[in-house]
Amino acid sequence: MAASTQQLKADVLVVGAGIAGLQASLDLADQGKSVVLVERKPSIGGTMINLSKVFPTLDCASCITTPRMASVAHHANIDLFTLSEVDGIEKAEGRFRATITKRPRYIEEDRCIGCKRCEEACTVFLEDDFDHGLGAKKAISIPFTNAIPQYPVLDAENCLLCGACAKVCPTQCINFLQEPKQVEVDAGAVILATGFELTPIDAKPQYGRGGFPNVLSPLQMERLLAPHGPYGGVMRPSDGQTPSSIAYVQCAGSRDKSLGVPYCSRVCCMYAIKQAMLLSGSLPIADITIYYMDIRAFGKGYEQFYQNARAMGVEFVKAKVARISEDEGHNPILRIERQEAGTGPEEVRHDLVVLSLGMVPAWKPSQGGLIAVEADTDGFLKSPGMKLSPALTTMDGVFAAGTATGPKDIVDAITDAGAAAMAATNYLARTQPAPARHLP
Amino acid sequence: MSPEDDLKILIITTMISSYPGANTVGQARLQYSPGTFIVRVPDPVMLPEEFYLDSFAKGIDGIIIMSSGSDCPYEGAYPRLSKRAGRVYARMKEQGIDTSRLKLTTICTVCKAAFLKEIREMQQNILKAKAA
Amino acid sequence: MTETNTSALEPSGDPVRVGVYVCHCGGNISDVIDTKAVAAALAAHPNVAVSNDYMFMCSDPGQALIIDDIKANHINRVVVAACSPTLHEITFRKALQRAGLNPYLFEYVNIREQASWVHKGDHEGATRKAVRLVAAGVEKVVRQDELFPIKVGVEPHVVVVGGGVAGMSAAVALAGRGLGVTLVEKGVALGGRVADLDRVYPTEERGADLVQDLTRQVEGHSRIDVRLGSEVVGLDGHVGKFAVTVRTSSAAPDDQDHLVRAGAVVIATGFDHYKPAQGEHGFGESPAVVTLPDFQAALRQCPASRRGLQVNGRPARSVAFIHCVGSRQIDGVHAPQADGKVNDYCSRTCCTATLHTIRQVQSRFPDVDVYDLHKDIRTYGRGHEAYYEDASRAGALFFRFPDEEPPTFAASTGGEYAGTVTTRDILTWGEELEIPVDLVVLATGMVPRDIASLIDLRKLPVGADRFLQEVHPKLRPVETGVAGILLAGACQGPMDINEACTAAQTAAVKAAILLANPTIELDPFVAVVDGERCDGCGKCLAECEYVGALTMADVEQAGATVRHAVVNPAMCVGCGACAAVCSPRAINVAGWTLDQFDAMVDAIIAEDVGALAHTECRAGVRHIEFAVISGGN
Ligand SMILES: Cc1cc2nc3c(=O)[nH]c(=O)nc-3n(C[C@H](O)[C@H](O)[C@H](O)COP(=O)(O)OP(=O)(O)OC[C@H]3O[C@@H](n4cnc5c(N)ncnc54)[C@H](O)[C@@H]3O)c2cc1C
Ligand SMILES: Cc1cc2nc3c(=O)[nH]c(=O)nc-3n(C[C@H](O)[C@H](O)[C@H](O)COP(=O)(O)OP(=O)(O)OC[C@H]3O[C@@H](n4cnc5c(N)ncnc54)[C@H](O)[C@@H]3O)c2cc1C
Ligand code: SF4
Ligand code: SF4
Repeated sequence: MAASTQQLKADVLVVGAGIAGLQASLDLADQGKSVVLVERKPSIGGTMINLSKVFPTLDCASCITTPRMASVAHHANIDLFTLSEVDGIEKAEGRFRATITKRPRYIEEDRCIGCKRCEEACTVFLEDDFDHGLGAKKAISIPFTNAIPQYPVLDAENCLLCGACAKVCPTQCINFLQEPKQVEVDAGAVILATGFELTPIDAKPQYGRGGFPNVLSPLQMERLLAPHGPYGGVMRPSDGQTPSSIAYVQCAGSRDKSLGVPYCSRVCCMYAIKQAMLLSGSLPIADITIYYMDIRAFGKGYEQFYQNARAMGVEFVKAKVARISEDEGHNPILRIERQEAGTGPEEVRHDLVVLSLGMVPAWKPSQGGLIAVEADTDGFLKSPGMKLSPALTTMDGVFAAGTATGPKDIVDAITDAGAAAMAATNYLARTQPAPARHLP
Repeated sequence: MSPEDDLKILIITTMISSYPGANTVGQARLQYSPGTFIVRVPDPVMLPEEFYLDSFAKGIDGIIIMSSGSDCPYEGAYPRLSKRAGRVYARMKEQGIDTSRLKLTTICTVCKAAFLKEIREMQQNILKAKAA
Repeated sequence: MTETNTSALEPSGDPVRVGVYVCHCGGNISDVIDTKAVAAALAAHPNVAVSNDYMFMCSDPGQALIIDDIKANHINRVVVAACSPTLHEITFRKALQRAGLNPYLFEYVNIREQASWVHKGDHEGATRKAVRLVAAGVEKVVRQDELFPIKVGVEPHVVVVGGGVAGMSAAVALAGRGLGVTLVEKGVALGGRVADLDRVYPTEERGADLVQDLTRQVEGHSRIDVRLGSEVVGLDGHVGKFAVTVRTSSAAPDDQDHLVRAGAVVIATGFDHYKPAQGEHGFGESPAVVTLPDFQAALRQCPASRRGLQVNGRPARSVAFIHCVGSRQIDGVHAPQADGKVNDYCSRTCCTATLHTIRQVQSRFPDVDVYDLHKDIRTYGRGHEAYYEDASRAGALFFRFPDEEPPTFAASTGGEYAGTVTTRDILTWGEELEIPVDLVVLATGMVPRDIASLIDLRKLPVGADRFLQEVHPKLRPVETGVAGILLAGACQGPMDINEACTAAQTAAVKAAILLANPTIELDPFVAVVDGERCDGCGKCLAECEYVGALTMADVEQAGATVRHAVVNPAMCVGCGACAAVCSPRAINVAGWTLDQFDAMVDAIIAEDVGALAHTECRAGVRHIEFAVISGGN
């Protein structure tokens, strides 16, 4: 172990700073528990900060996520590590010892003032991962508008080492030689909030393996719909035209045994309906069609949301989409089999198609690393006490929150986080008796 | 100095939406006229009718209320605010103040384009009203 | 101990001396704005004692500048003109605190994101604007009161209303955290609806075992006081200090009411089964039409025998399950409920409960023909989809009926089967089908229990679906509009057991946060009443949406009793709706007073900072506030 390894002691280690990890951290810290929160990306916020608006309230996602992110960043009881990887967590004598690697941003964080001058000076353009490849960013850049922390990250692989950024930085904080830092955390309990990823867009050969420019992932559409999106509006990536006919293919990665995703991903019906509503708001003359098997609008207020979309003129067609191809103008062509009017298979052309991809876990125990908890058959973390103690994992003292235990929407992920925080608190009360205070 | 820059437009912003929204415009280095003065409030529902009328009387050229609309965290505040704006419009008419000098709108934390559009429109309204 | 919590101190009598600090932000500001000129312009303000510009105000030497001026130059108000307050408001407040100054005597003026970065081409204009904005900040801060967090003493005890899985789960979690709990259950036993379930999806555990498991935990906790056969009949007080009256009707007449002091209240009163209307799909007209919960009870009692499935003493060889009965209703298609509205929501649990039941029928009575009539199959949850697949594989036939045309049932007299279900099936292109059946099972949805009397005690928020309503459906799913009153389980909307327990544990954590310390600290930005100005007109009351935040009360003032508005800072959210209608300006939100906003406008308009009036030390206003009880009893 390097002499410079930082040592920290905390009540709870939370892994993943999506909305579930953020909420779990706050629910612990607000009780006076000390928390170390580790996020592998350069900013906290997870998928939620990437969304345009959220169903069923159509609140602006950024507006409701940033205050939570700020509360976490400013909380006296939370130590936040971004751009950091948990290399492993070992349990010994009732405590958890985690080793964390903090990857270099190549800037001195304590001096950076977030002014973006480096970003302006940099001449290297890269694909912007926050916009899912639709926009561009610089080789040194703050990941996105509301990123927390507001520090740029230098992409060492693509940096030309020209020094343009270092020249303009008013605080001389760019450090091309920065090394990874090691941190060791000794915690009384662990919460895993590692979240989800979309099912891969290139998984299905029948749907073109992600090779058609006007067949989008739903997160790409979220970015197009966001007021701070890459094109400043909804346009076709192939030619910048405003689409007048947009289609959604439901269950494009879920309820499909051939993809190893037999389960329902729970949010795709609702996000498709939401996006359809937002599209009909921003492109009033566009036709929007949703090809589906069942519309699963099961949450509070969701059925009403679905009915509103129907009343607004969004067309819901019960049909199976067998294949997607495109014509020479990159117009996607769907081969569909209608279930409601059996005229046999037919081909329909749309300007833009969104594949309603499902959810798979972002971290699977089978990948190793992190911690030795078990997965269930669906790949998500196993919940041995699913009914009465939903936050438990297969290891005592390790709890799960949010989409780490299966697809979930935001409200369910947030509720989950509270339960995980409660379970962790009570586990600490049982295992780590604290000095007498108002409450243990 | 262009006539726009000589104006004094008051922009009432809310803590949770439009104030951070104005920051987003700045982070993107989008440009607008310095004849604009952003005032931060927890919620514009707290400002009485007189605040607007007095401000016009003092020499403020235009007021844009950038509310949080349906994202407003306070119960019933937005409906109250829009009713109040309605009464202010009525009183502006009575006093012969061009009503296009007051605008109630909703701006979120990332509404960059809408933010700039509101300012542009307000400048045009004021200059038109002044010309008339 | 009773202590009145004020957010304004008596005036110190010191002259108001403001320190102004203009940040260059390493060129980010000073490349566009002439920061020296701004500092110089502000030095002319009659209240400004020190006006400086500096390279990086947020750096340690920058903060030291402020701290030194507070200590050596007797600065007692601070204005920093720099980047956005979202970045460093807390940094500077802490600096004030370190120097012994109240951290709220500070104003932040954003001249980076909202000036230098957006007026790059107009240095002069940007500089002029910065002067006006900083002057406005000075005018605001000279009218600023010292503010202190509001402290509310708390009872480390929670009342949980409802002893189903949600209520029990919340109680166990709270007791585990060291809090006392009174668990109030109306019925004669704990367990709620889960006690009625045989096997539960998707784990196939027994409902009775789950209830027993929780009951054992509840009873094993010395901190939980279970009150069966009881209801809540009084709910006074506010977050931290509720006074809850629990009535046990079976107790001796003079011993029925029991007063419990609690810091928070969790409501977990659960749901009722929707009761179909007379004639709805044949319900009430034929014994062959039953609800899902009744069918589940019958199935449980039906012995496995060669006689096959028997319900109400009659054979059921062919069974049709109809989904969405009492849920997803459509205006014009379905008859309205008692309140004139249809149940337009989805009941979330009935699809999986139906398919789970179908699987039980299929595995125990493989010869029974099963038909499933639905609009959509919503087996969304973990492990739910398997029931759908397995039911289909085992031969259940699925038909999809159109929203506007729910299936109908007609009993037959003397036919082979008890009757016929008629439905249109979208899956076979809208064909009308007649299905001979012995039994029709209606997948009835959830409706909230009748808890009108509880709701009335505190005007609890109820949604259009008649379930209890949370403050924010995404971000604050278990809190109500009344601080300290929390929701758990199906009283809030349809949920299954794990969802109800998750919600309950989240409600528990919210209560634990409130009650973790002997006092709750709340933000000081709440309404305050100036006793000298309030004329008791009561207009403000009509504007306040938050029950209990604002009241009219008789207070002693200068030997006389006068009627005044009184704020309960524990319940006020500080929106200021009241302030806007108070003509004498007696009520204001602390830190955001209307006088401050007026003065800011004056400063923005002023052509000469030096000509602005000197503001004397704040006159001695007397603030009236609710006495917030602190500490024990
Ligand atoms: C297109 C789309 C639209 C949606 N729209 C809505 C909507 O409108 N309303 C709604 O309610 N829901 C919506 N959702 C669902 C919503 O996004 C999720 O419910 C929510 O983001 C889940 O939050 P989470 O914290 O569980 O996971 P995530 O957001 O995935 O966060 C997990 C975090 O953990 C980090 N992480 C993962 N592994 C590690 C590791 N090993 N070490 C450190 N950090 C790690 C990740 O980087 C990430 O930041 C939508 C989903 C999609 C795909
Ligand atoms: C047909 C059917 C089958 C189901 N099957 C399953 C399944 O297999 N798996 C699954 O996970 N879920 C299932 N569910 C859902 C499950 O029943 C609920 O999730 C669960 O009952 C919710 O628990 P609760 O504590 O919120 O409410 P309840 O179970 O309704 O309990 C509420 C309690 O509060 C008490 N109460 C009510 N009013 C008052 C008052 N004013 N004062 C004091 N006490 C009061 C009641 O007496 C009751 O004990 C099913 C639901 C239905 C309708
Ligand atoms: S130029 Fe320097 S101070 Fe500014 S954001 Fe980049 S690294 Fe930070
Ligand atoms: S869960 Fe299924 S049966 Fe129940 S209301 Fe929703 S769609 Fe209808």
